[in-house]
Amino acid sequence: MDRRKFLKKSSLASSLFFVPSFVKAFEQVTSMSLGYKRLVIIQLSGGNDGLNTVIPFRNDLYYKERPTLAIPKSDIIKLNDDVGLHTNLAPLKRLYDDGHLSIINNVGYPNPVRSHFRSMDIWQTATDSDKYLQSGWLGRYLDNYGKHPYSAIEIDESLSLAMKGETTNAIATQNPKVFYNLSKDPYFKNIYNHLDDAHLSEHNLGYLYKSMIAAESSAKYIYETSKTVSPHKEYPNNAFGKQLKITAQFINSGMGTKVFYGSLSGFDTHVNQLNTQKRLLKNYADGIATFVQDLKENNTFKDTLILTFSEFGRRVKQNASLGTDHGTANNVFIIGEHLKKQGLYNNMASLSDLDDNGDLKFEIDFRTIYATVLNKWLEVNDEKILNRSFKQLDFI
Amino acid sequence: MKTKHIQHLYWRIGFGISPPELKKLSKQSKKVIVDNLLNDSKKVTPLKLDTSELDDLLSGSYEKTKENIRKVRTMSRQKTKELNVAWVERLTNPKELLREKMTLFWANHFVCKDNNYVYSQQFHNTLRTHALGNFRDFVIAISKEAAMTKYLNTKQNRKRKPNENFARELMELFTLGVGNYTENDIKESARAFTGYSHNLQGRFVFRKRQHDEGIKTFFGQSGNFNGDDIINIILKNRQCARFICEKIYRYFVNDIIDKNHVNDMTDVFYADYDIANIIRYMMFSSWFYDEKNMGNKIKSPIEFLVGIKNVVPVNFKKQKQLLYIQKLLGQTLLNPPNVAGWKGGRNWIDSNTIIMRLKLPSLILNNAYISKVKEGTSSSAMETKKQFFKKHYGKHFKTESDWNYFNNAFKNVDINDLKDHILACSINKTANEYLKSLSKVSKQEHCVQLMSLPEYQMC
Repeated sequence: MDRRKFLKKSSLASSLFFVPSFVKAFEQVTSMSLGYKRLVIIQLSGGNDGLNTVIPFRNDLYYKERPTLAIPKSDIIKLNDDVGLHTNLAPLKRLYDDGHLSIINNVGYPNPVRSHFRSMDIWQTATDSDKYLQSGWLGRYLDNYGKHPYSAIEIDESLSLAMKGETTNAIATQNPKVFYNLSKDPYFKNIYNHLDDAHLSEHNLGYLYKSMIAAESSAKYIYETSKTVSPHKEYPNNAFGKQLKITAQFINSGMGTKVFYGSLSGFDTHVNQLNTQKRLLKNYADGIATFVQDLKENNTFKDTLILTFSEFGRRVKQNASLGTDHGTANNVFIIGEHLKKQGLYNNMASLSDLDDNGDLKFEIDFRTIYATVLNKWLEVNDEKILNRSFKQLDFI
Repeated sequence: MKTKHIQHLYWRIGFGISPPELKKLSKQSKKVIVDNLLNDSKKVTPLKLDTSELDDLLSGSYEKTKENIRKVRTMSRQKTKELNVAWVERLTNPKELLREKMTLFWANHFVCKDNNYVYSQQFHNTLRTHALGNFRDFVIAISKEAAMTKYLNTKQNRKRKPNENFARELMELFTLGVGNYTENDIKESARAFTGYSHNLQGRFVFRKRQHDEGIKTFFGQSGNFNGDDIINIILKNRQCARFICEKIYRYFVNDIIDKNHVNDMTDVFYADYDIANIIRYMMFSSWFYDEKNMGNKIKSPIEFLVGIKNVVPVNFKKQKQLLYIQKLLGQTLLNPPNVAGWKGGRNWIDSNTIIMRLKLPSLILNNAYISKVKEGTSSSAMETKKQFFKKHYGKHFKTESDWNYFNNAFKNVDINDLKDHILACSINKTANEYLKSLSKVSKQEHCVQLMSLPEYQMC
């Protein structure tokens, strides 16, 4: 009998016999820290130019359509004979070499929308492009499988729609201490201390009291758990680096959170794209590399899967202002230790078979990626969350 | 009219009522009060900012506008923020109270946003113009708004390449509700809305060449329908009146629908689709003042914020912070999540927003300080504590609060009766006992205490 089974059995035993509660608590913690899978979502806001990120450098059309915007062959970090990464993605190449990166090309959805706002909405709610939902896919995960509000945390000051469910919302916090301080005014505690259950079942006011108690305990839990580790890893000194640093702190402290959400914005490169994207991709890659290293050192990388997406890619042809306009399909990065299909998951998009706008025709529906992550990684019923059955992919 | 009922009415069709105003109205009958509310809202005062610079950029050729598109967008973003602030100000000091509350209501019904400020300002004022008018004219006007033809792609809806987005949402969200039409109804009605477009200045343009002149079959009727015809056919369906009445009921009366009341409302509304009439009917009905309908609704973030400003006028020295607060509370005016709008009700509340809501009154009015001075003890230490709070937490929001206004408005209110003016529902037992154990140092401190209760979130 291995340790995990033993613990499971003994926790069953503890419900049959009267085992002191501190022992039970210990067991729960232990079984949680064994194989506790977490998902980290990174959103690149503004529409990252996927073609200058993962580059088909053997394709003449790429250079033809982007005479002054294409990345010169000599600057490209080659993955194979045809495909390479942007100059500033060297840290991703190392993950690629280690087999910790899977690049899914040409991801999108039918009838693509080129508005940032609406396309982001579609990615976050996981709906068809002609339907509108008021809850996000991770919010619905929380509704069905989250035990606490802090089962999902967005490292931001307010919540994305992706993290809002029908009945449960995730927590948004950039700074657990501030969140805790706001909640812990003794005035609030005194209001609900000794409150009986009868009151809490009251209509809307009871709901407010319940939310207040849950919020206070979440804030306290997040603050007290996270401070059990002191982060010493040096992260890139920018907003994205800070987000990842705090995410790593949460993960390494053994916090019972399944989903983390972070974002990096500024990818809307209609004008003078080259320098902007260079800087952003550097922030992204350097941050992620440090993050992965941090997790590895704390033995938590094996239980963490990182998914990076952007609301759309950009047009194949460059525009007149040394930039690119809104496009359609894009690449998605999956980073983790247990990838079934490492490296390039599928072929690059065709640059000759474009839609009427001159945009890529998508191959993989992003929701098949969600379905796979939900089903194979978080081990939940993806249909229940996506309201529909999607094909499973085999990257994990 | 009973004071309690007037307070209830003013919370629902406004943002609370001040003690002097309440005193004035308490001698009047329900009929006079309700009629005055409607009469006072007859006029329409548009909310407009100076757009001359933008107008100029949009006055020339398409080429000129295209060249300046980035400038238009940047200016639009800035102006939209200014309109947000001006709108909050308008809601706090409205000339036409009921019309303003209705405008806020419709803004979460005909949900739209646009990156061209001229079009969004025009859309915003169309909501205000029709807020108490005829629902038929309202829907037709909305269908022809530049911002809406962009938002739901009617602009891209052409004869040989129909785009169904507007037709679908027209029925699902604006008039009938999901499940009351078929996919075929959507396809056919989309054809009727082909050719809808607008010029650079934002005026409606009907592009005849793009319009599908063929026979459409919609809800069992056939003809060469245009968009207006489709709206007329939809409104013939009683379900449309019911759908709108249910929404009005949930917004103004109770999250939980009372079928009989909504049925009665539907009869009234279906007769003429007159919005002012249905609101009058609601305000007159006795069930509107039923015990179970009072103090049972969770305020929207804007109702919460404007409500605070009505009790203690508070000025944000940095406009950005007023927008920031809306973001933290989950409702930024002019920036809805998508065409389905904000869900409202309990969905306003989560772990983040509840903490922010409880803490906000003290943060913006009292340097984050909530008095916990025990009854029977001296409050001398309080001032030192307040200074400490001011130094440590008072920097967060740069605000000026006008407590003189408050002290003046509440001068004839006994400190023990303050709760009846600040709160719309009674305080739960535990909180009440705790409050009793605390000293009522001053009306100001007590007001902040009351505003920091979950009860203050109710209206």
